Amino acid sequence: MTGHKKEHGMNERLDRLGSKLVRAAARNEETGEAVASSSFLYTRLRARINSESARREERERWRALFGVVWRAVPAMALVALLAFVLFLSAAFTRSVESYSAEALFGERDAGVERVVFATDRQPLSSDDVLATILNDEERGNLR
Amino acid sequence: MADGPYSIKEEEQARSQTEPPDVELVAHARQGDESAFEELFNRHRRRVSMIASRFFRQREQVEEIVQESFTKAYFALGDFSNEQDASFAAWISRIAYNSCYDELRRQKRRHESALTDVSEEDTTWLEENLRAEGAEGDVEGSAVARDLAEKLLARLSAEDRMVLVMLDAEGMSVSEIADVTGWSVSKVKVRAHRARASLRRVLKRFL
Repeated sequence: MTGHKKEHGMNERLDRLGSKLVRAAARNEETGEAVASSSFLYTRLRARINSESARREERERWRALFGVVWRAVPAMALVALLAFVLFLSAAFTRSVESYSAEALFGERDAGVERVVFATDRQPLSSDDVLATILNDEERGNLR
Repeated sequence: MADGPYSIKEEEQARSQTEPPDVELVAHARQGDESAFEELFNRHRRRVSMIASRFFRQREQVEEIVQESFTKAYFALGDFSNEQDASFAAWISRIAYNSCYDELRRQKRRHESALTDVSEEDTTWLEENLRAEGAEGDVEGSAVARDLAEKLLARLSAEDRMVLVMLDAEGMSVSEIADVTGWSVSKVKVRAHRARASLRRVLKRFL
């Protein structure tokens, strides 16, 4: 009981001393007055406001740009996806047309020439090729 | 809210009745009238400087708080509503206290002061003053006390220091502190209780 009372009394004294120290630390009117009356304080404030304003504008610009990019990303992704799908479908259609089984393993001839001239709608037959070679040889003999 | 030895209220009363009120100046400043904002600054610069000087000793620190408070106020002029707040003075004071609080927190993050900061001489001074507690000396006025107080308060958290200065140095009531900080009344009470306990612990370490 006595110990508790003693501790309570000690705490009260410490609180009072603490309050005095807090007041001592806060007793700084001279500095406050000096700052309040310092010349060019507004000029310095104005400079700070201007730089802060520029910083905010810059931030706003980046934010606006980011907003545009943010909105554009899904649209661009959609366009890219569409382009990819179109590319795939076009490639698939072309491969079906160009490398059909008929072109490669046609009954009229070996497929090599047909593959080479696959883009022609009327590929040369083996007979045509042979005739061309013979014609060339005959022309050579005549000379 | 106590005005302390400097009387800002008197200054306000002395201001001519013909001068435009703060609200009107705020309205002009919002429309881009720089001179209106300058006038607001000149009217309240002393108030803000005094608030800052309660928390910071260095002149540069006090000026930094003044600039930060008015810069914040400039960009937040659109939020100022005379219906919500008692006055522009109360509004700018709130901004100043919050700037001080932010700076205290930044300081605390930057450097935890070492225990060796308190010298043997300081400890002796503390012991003497605790013993001679009944006798009223000019504890608050002494330079030793100020230095020591600064060292001891640096060991408290920003919240504790804020509450103690507002209660003991500014003489503010719990509800006034709640209004300024935006904390609830019960939070301020709890904070004050903890702050006192923290300061006691700090003092006990040197006794």
